[in-house]
Amino acid sequence: MLPLKKISIYAVPFMVLVSACTKLDEKLGNTLTNAQTVNTLGSAGPGLLLNFAYADIAAPFTAQDQVFSLTENVTDESLVPTRGGDWDDNGVWRVLHNHTWNADHGQLLTVFNNLNKLNYDATVVLGFNPSAQQAAEARFLRALACYYLYDLFNQFSVRDPGDNLLNAPKVKTGTEAITYIMTELAAALPNLAAATATSRPTSASQDACRFLLMKCYLNKGAFLNRATPTFDAADMAQVITLGTTIMGNTKYSYTPNYFDNFSVDNGSKSKEAIFAYANTSGVTVNHAPIEGRWNMTLHYNSYGHTGQSIYGNAGWNGFSTISDFYNSFGAVTPTTYNPIDTQIDRRLGGRYYVGSTDISGIRPGFLVGQQYDEKGVARQDRKGNPLSFTPTIASNMIETGTNLEVTGIRVVKYVPDFSDTSGKYYSGPAGNWLMLFRYPDVVLMVAEAKLRSGTDAVGALTLVNGLRTARGAATVATLPLVNTNNVDDPNTLLAERGRELYWESVRRNDLIRFGVFLKPWGLKPTDDPKNLLFPIPNQALSANPNLKQNPGYN
Amino acid sequence: MMIKRLLTGSTLLILCVLFTHALSAQNKTITGKITDSKDGSPVVGASVQAKGSKKGTSTGADGSFSLSVAPEVTTLVVTSVGFDKQEIDISGKGSIELALVASNSALNEVVVVGYGTARRRDLTGAVASVKAKDFNQGAIASPDQLLQNKVPGLEITVNSGQPGAATTIKIRGNNSIRATNNPLYVIDGVPLDGRTARPSLNLGTNGLGFGTTPESNPLLYINPNDIAQIDILKDASSAAIYGSRGANGVIVITTKKGASGPTRMDVNTNWGITGYMKKYPVLSTSEYRDALKANSLTKYDSGSSVDPLKEIAQHTITQNYNISLSGGSETGKFRASLLASSTPGLLKKSQLDKYLGSFTGSYKFLDKRLSLDFGLITGHTTENLVNVSNTAGSQGNLVSAALNWNPTVPFRDKNGLYLLASNATANPIALSDAFNDVAKVNNFLGNISASFKLLDNLEYKFLYAINHGAGQRLTNIEGFLVGFQGLSGQGYAVISDAAITSQTFTHTLNFRTNLNKDLSFEALGGYEYWKSDYSNSNLAATGFNTNLDQKTRISIPYTSIIQNAKTQFPAVAFVDPTTELQSYFARVNFNYLDKFLLTGTFRADGSSKFGINNRYGYYPSVGAKWTVSNEDFMKSSTLFSNLALRVSYGATGNQEFPPGSSQEQFAFPSYNTVGQTIVQNTSLKWETTKSINIGVDFSLVKGRLFGSVDYYHKNTKDILFQASAIQPAPNSIYFINLPANLINSGVELGLGLNAIQQADFSWDVGFNIAYNKNLLKNFFDINTGLPIVIPTGQINGQGVSGTLGQVITNGYPVNEFYLKKFQGFDQNKGQIIAADPTPAGDPNPHVLAGLSNTLRYKKLNLTVNAGGAFGYMIYNNTATSVTNINSLSSGRNVDKNAIASGEAISNGAAASTRFLEKGDYVKLRNATISYNVGNTGKYLKNLNVYVSGTNLFVITGFSGFDPEVNIDKNNNNYPSRSIEYIPYPTGRIITFGLNFTL
Repeated sequence: MLPLKKISIYAVPFMVLVSACTKLDEKLGNTLTNAQTVNTLGSAGPGLLLNFAYADIAAPFTAQDQVFSLTENVTDESLVPTRGGDWDDNGVWRVLHNHTWNADHGQLLTVFNNLNKLNYDATVVLGFNPSAQQAAEARFLRALACYYLYDLFNQFSVRDPGDNLLNAPKVKTGTEAITYIMTELAAALPNLAAATATSRPTSASQDACRFLLMKCYLNKGAFLNRATPTFDAADMAQVITLGTTIMGNTKYSYTPNYFDNFSVDNGSKSKEAIFAYANTSGVTVNHAPIEGRWNMTLHYNSYGHTGQSIYGNAGWNGFSTISDFYNSFGAVTPTTYNPIDTQIDRRLGGRYYVGSTDISGIRPGFLVGQQYDEKGVARQDRKGNPLSFTPTIASNMIETGTNLEVTGIRVVKYVPDFSDTSGKYYSGPAGNWLMLFRYPDVVLMVAEAKLRSGTDAVGALTLVNGLRTARGAATVATLPLVNTNNVDDPNTLLAERGRELYWESVRRNDLIRFGVFLKPWGLKPTDDPKNLLFPIPNQALSANPNLKQNPGYN
Repeated sequence: MMIKRLLTGSTLLILCVLFTHALSAQNKTITGKITDSKDGSPVVGASVQAKGSKKGTSTGADGSFSLSVAPEVTTLVVTSVGFDKQEIDISGKGSIELALVASNSALNEVVVVGYGTARRRDLTGAVASVKAKDFNQGAIASPDQLLQNKVPGLEITVNSGQPGAATTIKIRGNNSIRATNNPLYVIDGVPLDGRTARPSLNLGTNGLGFGTTPESNPLLYINPNDIAQIDILKDASSAAIYGSRGANGVIVITTKKGASGPTRMDVNTNWGITGYMKKYPVLSTSEYRDALKANSLTKYDSGSSVDPLKEIAQHTITQNYNISLSGGSETGKFRASLLASSTPGLLKKSQLDKYLGSFTGSYKFLDKRLSLDFGLITGHTTENLVNVSNTAGSQGNLVSAALNWNPTVPFRDKNGLYLLASNATANPIALSDAFNDVAKVNNFLGNISASFKLLDNLEYKFLYAINHGAGQRLTNIEGFLVGFQGLSGQGYAVISDAAITSQTFTHTLNFRTNLNKDLSFEALGGYEYWKSDYSNSNLAATGFNTNLDQKTRISIPYTSIIQNAKTQFPAVAFVDPTTELQSYFARVNFNYLDKFLLTGTFRADGSSKFGINNRYGYYPSVGAKWTVSNEDFMKSSTLFSNLALRVSYGATGNQEFPPGSSQEQFAFPSYNTVGQTIVQNTSLKWETTKSINIGVDFSLVKGRLFGSVDYYHKNTKDILFQASAIQPAPNSIYFINLPANLINSGVELGLGLNAIQQADFSWDVGFNIAYNKNLLKNFFDINTGLPIVIPTGQINGQGVSGTLGQVITNGYPVNEFYLKKFQGFDQNKGQIIAADPTPAGDPNPHVLAGLSNTLRYKKLNLTVNAGGAFGYMIYNNTATSVTNINSLSSGRNVDKNAIASGEAISNGAAASTRFLEKGDYVKLRNATISYNVGNTGKYLKNLNVYVSGTNLFVITGFSGFDPEVNIDKNNNNYPSRSIEYIPYPTGRIITFGLNFTL
């Protein structure tokens, strides 16, 4: 019935075609396999991979909703009130300042992932035969990521080069965690380049490594017992030794004008940069979005003029500080516009700053009261009311009044980049470098270690007064560490750290180490011990069974 | 032996031909015309045979034929697809006229199944067919719109009112938790890639706040007038032959082919005009004034009166010109068509221009043993896009600017210059003027196939097809606009391009035989290889010297002088890994006395996307059918003219996820860097959907009421899922197969009714309704066993940044709304909103329905198509953050509902269940009145004139522009569903057209 033979004859060409089949090996488009990366990039490979890890710094440490938010908005230094139609954002900002966050908070997840990306990408370098210095830089970068993960979440994981990424890595916590970070830094230190007068602070130097080690020694007792930190004398001695080494490097000195540390040309003007991330005006390649640091706080009308394209577009009218923190500078009356600078502590700002005040009227530092343009004409908000920032913020952080655009003292730490006179960079890629480690922190850490170990209170006072003098502030006679009844007591070392390092992402760490993170302060009436740690983000927790949710968040 | 047999056959054939020719001297010639009993229109291509002989012909373009027959022939047999066979007595007649009656049960209609065709009566699976005469009429921008509400269980949502916008298509529910889950399109046997060569564009990067722009429709280059039939393969028995790619269902498009006969030319033209179907309820000028007074805000009254929604709209004439030529002989047929159309959208400057050509041919050689078919479709489309993005924040959306614009402020000053901004709202007219975004795409789809009949019942076929698309998009936003970060005083431009190439090779062998007199058997075997490449790149820049002041604008776009820009953003190129698929498939059909039918299919699919050990997936299916009405005991039934029971079960697969996910990859992300980007998973394997389908086909009252009922249950497992990476990792996500179950189950009913069937008057009704339930089960993390919660559904706008309104999680439908509960207003008229979000409703419609009516009175025809969706929620993101009450306090226009709520004007923008609305709607999709003039004069035939309305009205409680809405608000590529956000409004289009044949 069925001429099978015939079918087979005709089927032959068919079968031939069928057998000409492919192996289905996927051909990549514009990416390389691991082997290609080794073979084709050769000795250049580790350097390119290391550059990638350095570029990872931009994401977690720059924008207003990253590490900055988790270390500043949860403290007395910063908050983001909801202003009518702006900045509700599902309550994410208010819960940070209220200390009522939970493990679903989106900023926790992005920070966790971004820090871990730095952690991972630095590890990858180690699998590609780096030079000793490249390996040391990669280990430093990885330790940096781990340090912040540990500080925020109390646990982190590290992978070995070539790990199967589908396996859940072990989690380090407690003593193991801090020991790991410190061992890594100690191992990296000798192979890093020394910081010299001409070296750029954008690469990990020995001093950057020493700085991070100082942080570890100083905070070790706080990391291991955040509720009641203890401070081991040997650790404090290490802080002093490491700090003294850095202070002995003539590369560093106090920058005469405090805001030159944060200006568009801070890369060349700052004498205080130990570790920084470089930006160039108008260049978007590997750019860290530093412009967010002034956009987040400035009012829409903070610069430009009616009819100019930039006007009404100056900032996002959000981030503010509370009046108690502002007053910790020493009960100054609100700055008023006056071409003659009369303020004592230059860090408070309010002074004429060339490159900003002459272009926009903005005087870097704390913006309080009436704002003026560069010609001295009073600015108005969008409703036509005077653009005059007031210290009082609604108790629930939800502004509903007619003054909702002007409540809250604003803080311009990074000076807006007005370097292009045609105005094209007012909101584009700004050239300010991101300051990660700054020299005065070394001085203040050494002073703190001296006080905590009780070995050299006089020396500590000398160091702090040296800094104060450099900033134009009067010297002090005594220097208690902290006033546990008033977090914003101006006459403490904690307050001095706040005055020097405000909005530089150290405040949460400081408040915990000084034992006052759970104390009430402006617009945060109560607290809960669980808040000493952030919860592990739910998505991270559900991915790695070795992570344990921090106490109180289950 | 074979050759001998062939020769014998040929000799016989030649003898036959000679013999008939020898007799022709005594023949008589009979002429006639065959028409459709329904409307008197000519039936083209009907076969007219002399009964008892092999002599026959087919009707021409006007339905007429001429046949010479032997004198002893007394009866002609007339058949045509879709009509009942009829015999007519010709004794003593020289000419006849015959009206064919459409075969009511459509049991004989040909359905296109994978790699072949079948009669509907032989189908064991759930396949819906829609023929050209039943397509939606009126303004059709892309082929998928032909089908809206025509098929039970097929949900087609046009994502945007922009002509040429992408559609969301779901067959039997939401089958995927990834962004790409549209069905597979197969055009004349060629599976398409599904992506488009129009470059995607995100204007929400580089410091700009304009957001992501909507995608375009990948089928734009297919001329809707060229489509003869569309078949939708819904269950496993029908779709499993497409194996890996059938899980989301398959839409098989068959284009029109030439018919034998003299060359005919068909001309279709229409002209139309567009207006709003439904406007968004913002305050009119007088209402706005009242609201200002009531709130002591009269300082915002500038004394003028404008209507921004009116001003941003245009009413430019749409034009459509389509010509097709076809003709040929028994051994060679061709069809060619040309379409030129210009479709201005509702919003000013938006437009879709199409220039499409197609050429198909079918030629037979070697006594029709060898057939050669080819098809060529080429198209050039130009889209002029407006800035109506999916995710714009506080700025940069034309509709948002129009809704918010203070209606007392004029658009221009006394010098005729734009008032560029008012109260932090951009002037919508200036915004429209300053924004130019043009995408040009060239597409080419060519296929050639050869079939050779090895034996009378054994056929081999080879098909090769290539589909290439190349697109370029030039985007210019002029810097004279004020108030836009990253744009004002600088200007912004992007040049982007994309290219896509896919190729198909298919070999099939088809064999059919009668195993005995009661049992017939058919088998198909085949091999297919498919390959696709995709790449894109873009170059963006800002900081130009020109067009920074509206007084001194020049006509040179930034994209022509991109080197003038001060800031060149890093140019970005992207090249997808090549995707290859290799498949072996087979199908067998058994038919026992037309009572019992059994279909079995099997497909082995290999995909390069998967891990080395899991590249192949195996997809079997089986379907069975019992045609009860063919049983002897039913033969006497007067109630049922057809009754059949169908059952099918099988598996289909899915590999629609990003290529390269199984490999470790090192990319060049930016200047002087190389870094790992992918968490490799070498054990990735196919996602599989197992589905069961039980259906009943019936035809009652002599076929006047007919239809089908189907129940289905689909279970998708080994879900390809972008899981949270286990940190530390180079990326925040990676792909795994999640052993969860995504269940879709439902019931579908399709009904047809020939309510009235008289010579002068007829009324046909088509109705379909489908219920679907969607549920995600066992959605637990593979490492920890904890339920996975994926937040998605971006809620955008000023004051709600970072808010997500939906979740994909265990025990809920995909994209369940997850929002803070709105608890009313407090004594100060402030909103009370719960602290934590909770599950708040299902965005997936539970019930879909469609209704079509065709009424004919003599030569007048009325067709009305309506459709609706029910049982789902829509989130009104526009009301949340654009037209919320707080905008009034800043001098912007607001929602009428916000005023009506009596809330305090200090209430801020906050996402909550307050803005969750019922989506239920009924829409009158189109209504067409046509008059069939018929033949006029010597040359003009089948003249038909019509007026047609598209999107005539919608009945809904939803307060936005259109409840049929699905703005893409995906978060990290987790899809969203049913969120409205300042969309491109749906247009109501009235067209006037005429068709004729030459």
